Amino acid sequence: MDFVTQSLVIGITENAPLVLAAIGFALLYRLSGLINVAYSETITLGAYFGMWINTTYGLDFYAVLIPTGLLAGALSVGTYLAIFRPAKHRNVGVLEMIIISFGLSIFLRHGLQFIFGYPERFYDVPPPDTIWVLGVGVTSFRLLAVVSVALLSLLLYLFIQRSTYGLKIRALASDENLAQVSGIRPLAVTVLIWFIAGVAGGLAGAFYGVGSSVSPLLGWRQFLLILMVTLVGGSWGLGGVILVGVGTSVALAAMALQFEQVLYAQLVLIVAFVVVLKWRGTRLTEAAKV
Amino acid sequence: MTLDWLDAFLITGLFEVAMVIGLALLLHLQLGLARIANFGVVGFWAIGMYVFGVLYVKVDWPFGDPWQFLVCAGAGTLVAGLAGLLVGWLIADLDTDGVLVGTLGFAAAVQILATTEDELTGGAFGLGGLGFPFDIGKVKENEFLWLVITTAFVAAILVYAWRVHRSPYGRLLIAMGGNEPLARSLGKSTFRTKLWLFGVTSAAMGLLGAMDGVMVRFLDVGHIGVDVTLAAIVGLVLGGTARVWGAVVGVILTVGLFDIVVRSYLPLPQEWYTQTIPVLREAVFGAVLIVVLLFRPLGILGDMRRDRLMRQIHGR
Repeated sequence: MDFVTQSLVIGITENAPLVLAAIGFALLYRLSGLINVAYSETITLGAYFGMWINTTYGLDFYAVLIPTGLLAGALSVGTYLAIFRPAKHRNVGVLEMIIISFGLSIFLRHGLQFIFGYPERFYDVPPPDTIWVLGVGVTSFRLLAVVSVALLSLLLYLFIQRSTYGLKIRALASDENLAQVSGIRPLAVTVLIWFIAGVAGGLAGAFYGVGSSVSPLLGWRQFLLILMVTLVGGSWGLGGVILVGVGTSVALAAMALQFEQVLYAQLVLIVAFVVVLKWRGTRLTEAAKV
Repeated sequence: MTLDWLDAFLITGLFEVAMVIGLALLLHLQLGLARIANFGVVGFWAIGMYVFGVLYVKVDWPFGDPWQFLVCAGAGTLVAGLAGLLVGWLIADLDTDGVLVGTLGFAAAVQILATTEDELTGGAFGLGGLGFPFDIGKVKENEFLWLVITTAFVAAILVYAWRVHRSPYGRLLIAMGGNEPLARSLGKSTFRTKLWLFGVTSAAMGLLGAMDGVMVRFLDVGHIGVDVTLAAIVGLVLGGTARVWGAVVGVILTVGLFDIVVRSYLPLPQEWYTQTIPVLREAVFGAVLIVVLLFRPLGILGDMRRDRLMRQIHGR
């Protein structure tokens, strides 16, 4: 019973940012069908933005979250307007789009080192309080991450499924031409989606960063898991992404406890996800888009 | 043989260029002809390198070099080829997104195993004890001979790719890349073709990895990062994914520029070479990918000759 409790608490609190990042990534994927590899750098830069605001202006971590989210959202929109929109207008193919996003990811990951420096960076925050949840010690930052992720996930879910804008987003994802005929402005809705996705990725990065350290590979290390959670969970909509994300987080913690080595847990998950993809074939990735 | 006129950095730079040209040529067969985006090139390269390295260092062979090298490199090639067959089978019926997951996942799995199985691989501390399968004198002379041998192997890959272009197998790869369901409807076994393609190209990537292991003589997990895949992709995309010579031209212009011209001939402050230049190299490579695919998606050399010919015949 202890093992189950520990896996649940550690999994959900340690990996809450994974769920948040996967939601943002899935939104983009559902809208455009694009595997945006550069999303990993939205996460990384979110961590860097937060650290920079925190250490430069002396704001505490909670106050840092709003400007961090806004900056990451603006960055995400900037990449769409500067690169992905022109690429779409030039009828660049799906495969080439992925390679472009890969190039952008590499460019941002290395370019940011000229701005923020090469060494690993840290948030300047007081040691977090330890709160006991079901007998497992959890830091206050981790707990805040869980609450934030739960709140943001709920808000995003309601926004996409219940609001007028959400309806427009889903309409645009299904059929852009039909949506346009119905009076939906694709550019405004698309920019909104890229912004929301950027905010989600940036906040995930800030939560990852404050829990450990900030380095250029922070987002890239999470990308494969985010991608797999989205491809597998996305076929059941945003709710599926959240469920698979939470399941992945708990499985990761359980296996890390079992193997005493988090890399083995990641290895098992990679194999499991690839087997699921193989088993479900092309239907899965197609279904995850709409 | 005296090689005093030859700079040691130039030898390693040329070796790096030859190595990446080899990988880019193999990627050309996958991406340029069959339109299979292998983002896990480094995984196949690394598995060959590590299988070779572990067998070479950890096994007490009853014979010495060059047989020891040949057996260990053969095993590395075989394992990389089998891994290629496995990954090929996994991704054969997946679309581009699934291929991305499968190949990236494989590369991540290899890196994880190289890190965690530290009793075999040395993990983060690395694995030393590798050497050249011959000794003709000083280190520089051995390195130069190894560069010549590697270049010969890369030239063989170039000839193979050139012949594939002109063979029924190559035409099937191109047909598969253009419209796989159509190729299948014409009775072609696209599944078997993909398996063969992945098996052969991955095996060759594994052998290149083993050859790189000999040159660096020390394996560490920092050496098997995404930058290997990036170098092959950016070279191929810049030169032209559809042309055999695209890989050669593109890699010379990218890896050659940084690893030979900048490293050996530009009078830059020495401290720049530790972090600034490597970071700048990767950032420029990323930017090149974006700019080329936005403004000249077919790369410097452009389309395949047969496509040009078809356009001329049909007046388009």
